Amino acid sequence: MILDTNNLPEGRALSADVCIVGAGAAGISMALQFIGSDIEVLLLESGAFEEEPDTQALYAGAVASELLHSPPDRYRQRRFGGTTTIWGGRCMPFDPIDFERRDYVAHSGWPFAREVLLPYYPAANRLCEAGDFSYTAAASFRDGGRPMIEGFESCCFSSDTLERFSCPTDFGARYGERLRAAPNITVLLHANVSAIRLRAAGDRVASLDVRTLGGKRVEARAGHYVLAAGGLEVARLLLASRDIQPDGIGNQHDLVGRYYMCHLAGTIGALRILKPASAVHHGYEISEEGVYCRRRLALRPETQRAQRLGNFVARLHHPRITDPAHRSSVLSLLYLAKPFIPYEYSKRLHGDEHATLAGWLRHLGNVVTGPFEALAFAWHLLRDRKLAERKFPSIIVTSRANLYSIDFHAEQQPEPSSRVLLDDARDALGMPRLRIDWRYTAGDVDTVQRAIALLAAEFARTGVGRLDYDTATVEAEMTRYGAYGGHHIGTARMGSDPRSSVVDSDCRVHGVDNLYIAGSATFPTSSQANPTLTVVALSLRLAAQLRWLVRADAAAAIIKPSAAPAAAGALAAGATP
Amino acid sequence: MSLRVLVLGADGFIGGQLVAALTAADWATPIAAGRRPRAASADDSIARLQFDATDQAALAHALQGADAVVNCISGSGATIESSARALLAAAARQPRAPRVVHMSSMAVYGAASGLVSESAPLRGADAYALAKIAAEAHCSRYPQAVVLRPGIVYGPRSRQWTERVGRWLLQRRVGDLGAAGDGCCNLVYVDDVVSAIAQCLRLAGVAGQAFNLAMAQPPSWNDYFVAFARQLGAVPVARIGRRRLKLETRLLAPPLKIAEILLGKARMHSIPLPEPIPPSLLRLWQQDMRLDVARAELLLQLRWTALADGLVQAARWFQAARAPAGPRAQ
Repeated sequence: MILDTNNLPEGRALSADVCIVGAGAAGISMALQFIGSDIEVLLLESGAFEEEPDTQALYAGAVASELLHSPPDRYRQRRFGGTTTIWGGRCMPFDPIDFERRDYVAHSGWPFAREVLLPYYPAANRLCEAGDFSYTAAASFRDGGRPMIEGFESCCFSSDTLERFSCPTDFGARYGERLRAAPNITVLLHANVSAIRLRAAGDRVASLDVRTLGGKRVEARAGHYVLAAGGLEVARLLLASRDIQPDGIGNQHDLVGRYYMCHLAGTIGALRILKPASAVHHGYEISEEGVYCRRRLALRPETQRAQRLGNFVARLHHPRITDPAHRSSVLSLLYLAKPFIPYEYSKRLHGDEHATLAGWLRHLGNVVTGPFEALAFAWHLLRDRKLAERKFPSIIVTSRANLYSIDFHAEQQPEPSSRVLLDDARDALGMPRLRIDWRYTAGDVDTVQRAIALLAAEFARTGVGRLDYDTATVEAEMTRYGAYGGHHIGTARMGSDPRSSVVDSDCRVHGVDNLYIAGSATFPTSSQANPTLTVVALSLRLAAQLRWLVRADAAAAIIKPSAAPAAAGALAAGATP
Repeated sequence: MSLRVLVLGADGFIGGQLVAALTAADWATPIAAGRRPRAASADDSIARLQFDATDQAALAHALQGADAVVNCISGSGATIESSARALLAAAARQPRAPRVVHMSSMAVYGAASGLVSESAPLRGADAYALAKIAAEAHCSRYPQAVVLRPGIVYGPRSRQWTERVGRWLLQRRVGDLGAAGDGCCNLVYVDDVVSAIAQCLRLAGVAGQAFNLAMAQPPSWNDYFVAFARQLGAVPVARIGRRRLKLETRLLAPPLKIAEILLGKARMHSIPLPEPIPPSLLRLWQQDMRLDVARAELLLQLRWTALADGLVQAARWFQAARAPAGPRAQ
């Protein structure tokens, strides 16, 4: 069922076997796993079905540099469905190398290998509506699919790996009715968790304080608690709950909020393909299941190891939109349509360049001189994106001149000084707001610089093209838009040692038996991959573990009534999907 | 000694498959019964009776030469109910009560959700379900009756769930329906239904019972549509949006149905019209009801055909039926 906290009596205590905070990709995916069981689940959501300005404003905070990081209330949505209500839908799993400890990437290494997560990826792919769990062109297309650039065979870069695209699926709209119909699931809207209350010994959560913006207070009690509120909000909740653990929950070693990562992304250079235009296929192919798939140029793991580089992918991209010299009516149309494109997307489309009247007129000239191309593109956008339920994922403009730019997306390395922390300012509920101090390192710049140089060298070696770019501008380009928006990673990192991690390999906060974290906050490293698919896979694994633990609790209670919580200490090694 | 099995509705989908299976079996001899005269293409070696199955006297006469009877009558609600009533009344008057296997449907459970066993209340409320429930009520008063409640019967010659769905997939009118296709698709391969009937005829201890028939791990409707489309080569599978489904079922379906009826009355069958997608299907595709088939597995010792295998056969038949020189679809 779905209830509104505003309609509950003041002071009401709600109880469940499992309480999940946050109804986004992680929280909804987890709650769905309990349907059909006898496990009572309480899913707390701050917002409701639509964006509400007052609720969204609870996300507001400060950033150390507006040039390096977007405001905290951007790129995330405080409402049922969470940020899946606005995401782009790009899905791909983390690579095996992402889980390894790499001596050339400080603080790298997950406490388990990719194989541990592998059983959960196919179901995650289904929830994201990304079709088969198949991420190579060879495995996804009967004919192997068209090559990205004919004749490009590189020992450093593979163009066989794919990214697949979700509809993009709004998890709230897609799965809300299933949750509403489930008798053992209670979704509570307008339920803001303002504090996590530990019992006096500090080893277990006793309850959560839940408040509405209207001033109502209720309490949530459960056997197990899961924070699934996103990489930024999880850190805020842990840090702001200081009554028993004065530094914040799980923060005895000053780790919560540190190692904050996003991705390093940007567009650079002028790539001229020295082949016929028909030799390039940089757009999407549709798989049998109807899913948009796209090849990328992925830095091979053996090259990463040999060159001591972080993970990195690149795509062929259209020339920079803002410069009317591209003479593309389509790109100029996009430039002129800026007021109608959401902030999260228009920022990367248009960058930070100041518009001038002369420039605007040149863009208009491009549109006027290529009206049919622009019209056809507008129709394509209307039919395949605006009106379609499975949306064409991005703008693909084929260059007749065989001119492209390189769009890259790279791993950001974990760095303790890159962090989120509590600010002095408080939100409408009296909670400290966040202050974001995102930083990148010389290693990050090195990864992007040398990976692009390798790519340029491989284009030259194979003779398929020539990539011209100014090596001195790489750092500026990779930070042109600041941290890649929306990927909030590492603020409660996973590991086996409490001195260097916040949660253990089961996503349980070290030292707090019944508190778990779902989501990218727990990722020790960021990969080249967008995080959502792995967030969902990890959440499904956690849900399987919790199902096992709740049953173990119940069995323990039957055998020895006073020992009910003891099972929480037992690892869910036997939990299967 | 061979069991003489009277098959009512032998010209229908399941009746026809059953007659073929019994003909090939060494333990049974089918007697095919239908309203229409024997088709010119029919196998002359199969005994054939022609009568109206709602006619109790005709039924009583037919039963004299049979050891068991399988009721595969479909049609209007009135036909379903009255044929069952006539059959059970005629059977009760036989000197040696024959085994009656009655084909019911999962429709008897109505809008139930969750795992549904045979003891669940029969709450179907539409005309078809009410007729099936009434027919089952007649069976309950006859100790030698066995009731089968199949889910979605697919496979060769399935007009509703293979041929029609296949056509809609090719036309991209169904596909990945999103939340509208999340319901449980209680598929059962037609051969498994025939096997269940055969077991009901042969096993002594199943009289007076009802059995759900569906594969043990049924897919969602979306999964069924996508898997069948891929088998048919109807790819890429289309994502059908909520708006489009509403348009199909609410705006287009009623006039298409009326046109279909009018053209039928005017005997203008040659005018091709798209087949309407009724709103009831939209409800079915979202219904989260899973048939509990433990009883059928245990007592009838059934093993379900894997979906992948069933789809290969279904697609092969569908494509042959559509080929210019192939067998007719129905």
